[in-house]
Order: sequence, then structure tokens, then C-alpha cells
Amino acid sequence: MLDELSYNVVNDPMRIYRAKRDFARKRVTDKYSILGFISSGTYGRVYKAESKIDRVVHAIKKFKPDKEGDIVTYTGISQSAIREIALNREISHENVVALNEVILEDKSIYMVFEYAEHDFLQVIHHHSQTLRSPITPTVLKSLTYQLLNGLLYLHNAHIIHRDLKPANILITSSGVVKIGDLGLARLTYQPLQPLFAGDKVVVTIWYRAPELLLGAKHYNKAVDIWAVGCVMAELASLRPIFKGEEAKLDSKKNVPFQKDQLLKIFEVLGTPDERDWPGLKDLPEYQNMKRLDYSDVEHSYQNRLAEWCQSRIRPHQGGDLLRQLFIYDPDRRLTAYEALQHKWFQEEPLPSKNVFQSVPANQIPPHRRITHDEAPSMMPVPAANSQAQAQIAQVQAQAAAHLSQQLMGSHPLSQQSGRAGSVASFASLSGGTAAGGSGHPRKKARMG
Amino acid sequence: MATDFWSSSHYKRWMLDRATLRQARADDLQYVDDPEYLDFLAIFFANLISRLGKKLQLRQRVIATATVFFRRFYVKNSYCETDPFIVVAACCYVAAKAEESPVHIKNVVSEARMLFGKYGIKSFPSDNSKLAEMEFYLVDDLECDLTVFHPYRTLMTLCGKAGGNGGETEAGELGVGIQDGQRYWGTGEGKLELEEGAVQMAWFIINDTYRSELCLIYPPHLIAITAIYLTLVFHTSTRATIQAQTQSPPTSSGASASSSPPTRRSSRTANSHKKAPQDIVGFMAGLNVSMALIATLSQEIISLYALWDRYREDHTAESARSAFAQGQLSAFGAAGAGTSGKRAGHARSGSVLSGTTSSGGTPTTGDLKDDGAGLAEQQVVTPAFLVHLLLRMREARLADMAHPATGRPMAVNKMLERAQAAG
Ligand SMILES: Nc1ncnc2c1ncn2[C@@H]1O[C@H](COP(=O)(O)OP(=O)(O)O)[C@@H](O)[C@H]1O
Ligand SMILES: [Mg+2]
Repeated sequence: MLDELSYNVVNDPMRIYRAKRDFARKRVTDKYSILGFISSGTYGRVYKAESKIDRVVHAIKKFKPDKEGDIVTYTGISQSAIREIALNREISHENVVALNEVILEDKSIYMVFEYAEHDFLQVIHHHSQTLRSPITPTVLKSLTYQLLNGLLYLHNAHIIHRDLKPANILITSSGVVKIGDLGLARLTYQPLQPLFAGDKVVVTIWYRAPELLLGAKHYNKAVDIWAVGCVMAELASLRPIFKGEEAKLDSKKNVPFQKDQLLKIFEVLGTPDERDWPGLKDLPEYQNMKRLDYSDVEHSYQNRLAEWCQSRIRPHQGGDLLRQLFIYDPDRRLTAYEALQHKWFQEEPLPSKNVFQSVPANQIPPHRRITHDEAPSMMPVPAANSQAQAQIAQVQAQAAAHLSQQLMGSHPLSQQSGRAGSVASFASLSGGTAAGGSGHPRKKARMG
Repeated sequence: MATDFWSSSHYKRWMLDRATLRQARADDLQYVDDPEYLDFLAIFFANLISRLGKKLQLRQRVIATATVFFRRFYVKNSYCETDPFIVVAACCYVAAKAEESPVHIKNVVSEARMLFGKYGIKSFPSDNSKLAEMEFYLVDDLECDLTVFHPYRTLMTLCGKAGGNGGETEAGELGVGIQDGQRYWGTGEGKLELEEGAVQMAWFIINDTYRSELCLIYPPHLIAITAIYLTLVFHTSTRATIQAQTQSPPTSSGASASSSPPTRRSSRTANSHKKAPQDIVGFMAGLNVSMALIATLSQEIISLYALWDRYREDHTAESARSAFAQGQLSAFGAAGAGTSGKRAGHARSGSVLSGTTSSGGTPTTGDLKDDGAGLAEQQVVTPAFLVHLLLRMREARLADMAHPATGRPMAVNKMLERAQAAG
């Protein structure tokens, strides 16, 4: 007996340890009931969930587990997940989405965030599609102010977000802006490696600062400020201000010259000038930019931002803020702190704590739509072995029993049936585990 | 957060007291004859992390982070119920990511296998997924707190050269990008002007503290200041300077008028003039830290060196231990004197006890094969002994779990029943 036991332990000395940990671990579905699926992004899926303890609603972001064929296996936690987790564990601010907890379970990572009912993208859609009217200057100002306020906190903590865009900026039902998605964010405090070394491309193209488009290897917080400018302009006009076509990475993963995106910027802000931006001529893509200027268009562009603002941001001061967020030279571009000091925020109407304060109830954007996702669920399903575990725990209510079960069990991989993973759609999960909630439709169905 | 230790997870959740650490070793203590062996294990594994880190070309700060992860893991776990070798590898792997300088998992696995093989560990899994699995559990045990503060930062902020980037320094650790803001230990003003060799020595002392659990008990800035304090005492030429200062009132040497007032905070001294020697003692006194605490910490570091003195790990050239023969205090002196000869590539990973005087090493061979039989006479502990010890601990633990009469309350009779049922 002992021989077999020690055989197992010698072959896999961490077996006892894992068994103990697995046994003690609270599973996601023990603590939360899944209400529906919100979104699927680059790194994973986001679900709406309710705490079984206090009924508070959360958003659970599940990182895609890696797969080898059909079998989910451990391949190492992605840099992006490590980042998002590490940063979120340290920060806490009213205007940054709060991380409640992280659950590691069944080879997957679940980040449990406070729930935000809206996001900037949705607000923009709501105004352009449903209301067909612009966001009021009061709301625009409050959104921008709170966004900058959250950004100031991040920047003071030496964090660059590097992916600010409407979809990543959330709003709670009580109208508080929350910066989310720190999956690309980075600490800039005493980096061991230059920023560009880790990630070749940062920031979604429409929100990408000119220094990045021109290949700058050293960039800083100013890239976030540029993105804030783009977001503010988009809130004001309900469409992206610089909606360029992204040139894709070539087969060797070289980052191409983003000609179209730059032209979109130049059309509004004019061609950048070395006199205003001394570092310009040292940027890798400077020559490309020069060529573009003289071959593709007859004359260099003029700054038409004031004209652009005329019809879109009525109060003069709002336009002035935008102008300063769009200063080409990153060293002269406003900082988050300076932006918050801008006159626009000091004059009536003042930004409000609840961004929807001035909005009539029938014009507040609708609740987030949630669906049942059809794809193989990312939420855990009580797997064969864990059901067995649960039974044993019930019958014997003893950690040791569990331990022995683990120790004597077959190889971990064989306990993991591929079947459970692929069939388990989200609908079948909620049908199977929700206390009284049987009969959920299995097909994709709108719930919100 | 990056500037604010006091609001960090490190401060809020991972500053532990002695009682907690004692409790953490309670299980292990049952399986060792001498509690000191556990302290030797702490040295051994820190060295191992450092070795593996160097093979993976990790910077010193990454190695330090990996070591802190390892220590935190063993606050919650026992050596006798785990395999510390795979934990070591996972700590390096995660730390590299947490410090934004990732290494490929394949490399970690192959370097770990190679390195651990030298210690007779043949069971390290070649399968990447095993290490990845360990990473997963490790991150869970670390409670996802992956941002760690280190004394290096304080050291460089206090003593770092303002402008020039010395060839020996690691760019990231030199305070590149330091923004203004309140220092959390003092006024935020001024720099301590130490000679290059002295700063290096303080850096090495900091490296050495990771061989103990001090990083779990004391905030990093206290460790840094203690390292500086010890340097002032033991760095030969720095000590001489201080002695000269305290014996005669500080005056600018050389041609300048002897009536010049004593200088404090002389970091603002103009370059064009002959530099007045800085009032080092005054600078230290001006730091907003408890000198009693610094004294206690100094004592702890010195006892670490005393313990370390009885640990031999000399199967590779880089851990040549000539310094040992001279006893701990002279080792300090030797290290201080020897710092000028350090090799650029490894300068930052050195140790006061062993790293700096690598040229004079006389490694004794065969320690690896020595399974510790001669321990009693030699009063020296070797890696081979410790590896053997670990194995025995684990076996004994297992046996205890199988025989409840002799062991811990693990209800192992149930386990055996199940085992029988399972065939
Ligand atoms: N806390 C939250 N509350 C509600 N919805 C959220 C929350 N976090 C994210 N979402 C939704 O999920 C989407 C994707 O989340 P995000 O964190 O941006 O992940 P990704 O890295 O995949 O972009 C968001 O655009 C938003 O619509
Ligand atoms: Mg996103």
C-alpha cells in the first residue's frame, strides 16, 4: 500500500499538495451563478454573474485556456493575464474597474470584477443609432473628466494603459466611469526592459498616438492622453475621428508603416512640423512620412481641428482641451493632471459625479445585453472527477478521504474527459446547476 | 502604487511576523534533527534560484522577486509535502513575467533539469505542462500578488549616481525614470555619496539577505538602509573616511579655507569646487527610520553570515569560498577590498560572502558526493546533505500519513482503505 503511495509521490511529488489545494479551493460556480455571456475578446470571455453570497452582480473575465487539440492543458499563464492580475491587485480607484478576486480553477483563470452596466462604445451607439442625437456637452464633459481622473491615478502609479478606447472604458449604472482592460497596461517605473521590447504593437489603431505610428521606440504616458483625445472626439461626434485602415503585419511580423492612419490624422490636424515637434525627425518612420507628404498629396495639410470642433463641440473651451490633447509632440501634450486643470472643467456646467445626472430616464442607455453563448463554454463544468470529489466529500466529509482519492486516482489527464469540455455549452451549464433555473434554451438567446 | 509601498500588496498582505514564520515551519520541524537545517535549506534554495536565474539571464531584481515568491510559497506550505525544486523553477518563470522580462517555458524546463541534475535531482519533469501546472498553483498560493518591492530601489535612490550610468549598473535598477515624489522613508532630499565599491558592497549585502526570511519580515527600505549601515562599518576605506570625519571636524580638505562651516547634505556641492567630504553619519541620522530597528536587522544579517559560513557549496567556480577561511568579519573586509576586481557581467549578482572574490577561490571537490556523513565533525552543511535531508523528510512525512499512530492527524486509515479498494 505504502509502496504504491510512495510510488505516486515519488513520481509526482506535488500530488499531495495539489490534492489539498484542489480540495480547499472554492469553485467559480460555488460562489457565483452565471447570468449570461457578455463579450468575447482577444484574451477571453466576459460573463455576467451574481454572487451567491450577497447577490451582487459581477463581471467575470475568463482567460482562454490553452488547448492542444481537444485537451485543455497547462501551457503557462499569458503575459497579458499576469499583467492584468498583477496590476489590478495593487490598484484601487473610483474610476478604475475594481478587481474583486481571482479564481484559478481547472487550468483557467477567472478575474471577478465589479460589474459595469455600460461602456463608452455602447453610449456612442445608443446616441448614434437609437436616440440619433449627440451626447450633451454636460455628459461629454463628465465622461471626459472621470476618464482623465482615472487615468491620472494610473499614471501616478506609473502605469500606462496602452489600450484606451471606447470599448475598454466602462460606466456603472450609477454613472461612474471605470477604466477597464489592463491587459496591455504596463508599469513604467524602472522597467528592466524598454517598453517596446515586450509588445510590438500597442493601442488599437484609431486611438494610436502619432509617435507610435511613426515607430517611436521610447514612448510614455502621452500615448494614453492621445487616446483620450480620440475618445473625447468620438463621444462628441459619435464616430471615430481618425478612422484609418490598419496596415497588417507582414509575414515576418514586421510592423508596417501605418500610412492611412497617419493621413487620417493629418487631414484634421495638419502635417506635423519639426519646429513644433523637435523629436520628429529622429523617429524611424520619419522618411516614410516625408515621402507620404510630398507624393500622395499636393500640399501639406493644414490644421482644421478648430473647424472640426465648430459643429461638434460647441463650447470653445472643450475644443481647446481637445486641441491640447492632440498636441503632436508627446512632451508638450497635456498630462492627465494638466488636462484636469483645464478651464473647460471649471466652467458651468461642472462635471458631475453621476455622468447621467442630467439625462432623462428614458434616454439613459439600455442595460448590457447578455446572451447564452453557443461556443463550447468557457465556464467550468463540474467535471467527472470533481463530481466524484463532491460525493466523497459529502459521504465522508474528510479531507483525508479526498486526498487518498487523489493519490490513488488515475493519471490526471485521463480524468479530464474531452467530452465534458466540448459539449458543455453555457446553456447546459446553467440548466444543470442553477437551483431552479431549468429549461434554459440551448440556442443562442437574447436575455437582456 | 509603484511609488507607494504603503498601499502595496507587499506591505498590506505580506509583511509577516516571526510567529507566523515559525508556524509555517511547524510540520517541517518534526522531520529534522536540528531546526538549523531549515535555515540552511533557506540558503540552499536562494542560491539555487540565483543559479537558475543566471542560467536564464534574469536580472538581479527578477531573481530577488523569484526568491520572495519562493519564501511566500513556503509560508503556506511545507518542504516535507512539496517538491521545492519545481517550486524554484516556477518562481523563476513567474517572476520573469511579473517583471516584464519573460523567458520561454522550454528554456526554464531545460535549464532547471540541467541544473537540478547536478544536485542529483533526476525527477524534474521534462514536460512543459508540469511546470505550467506548478505556475498555476503557485500564482494561486501567492494570492495573485505579483508586484514585489526590493531594497535595491532604496539603495539606488539614496546612493545612486544622479546622472552617470556606470558600466556595472543595471539600467532598470538604477532609478531610470524615477519620478519626483515623496520618499517613504525620509525627506526625499539629498543623496549619500559613497564610493563605487561601497555601493557595490551594499548591493551585495542586499543580495545576501535573500538567503534568509528577512524579506518577509522587514520592509525593503529598512533592509537597504541596514545594508548601507553595514557597509559604512565594514567597507574599509569608507570606514576610514568616517573615522577621519568623526575624529576631526569636517573641513574641506586641501586649499580651501579652514574656517568653512561643517557641511551637511553636501550633495549640492558645486562641481567647480573641491568637494567637501559629506557628513555620512549625519546623513544616516537624518533618515526617518528607527536606528534600533536597523541595529536589530544588522544583527540578523550578521547571524545569517555566521550560519552561511558553515554552508559549503563549491562544486562550481562562481561560488568559490576563499572568504570563508577568514571568518565573517574579515570576509566583509576582503569583499570590500575586492570589489574593484568584479566581472562586469555578474557584478550585480554578487554576494559579500562568496561572489566578489571569485578569483581567489579554492573549490574543494567532491562535496556533492558527500552525503553528509561527516557533518558532525565538520559542522558544515552541503547541498548533497540538504537534498538527502529533503528526501528523508518527504518519506517520513509520507510514512506518518500512512500510519496515524506515529504521525499527524491525517485520517490516513481512511486513505488506506480507499487505497485497498482501488486495488
Ligand atoms: N467589469 C465589467 N462589467 C461589465 N462588462 C465588462 C466588464 N469588463 C469587461 N466588460 C465587457 O467585456 C468586454 C471585454 O472585456 P475586456 O476586459 O476589455 O477584455 P478584452 O481583453 O477581451 O478586450 C468589454 O468591452 C466590456 O464590454
Ligand atoms: Mg478590451
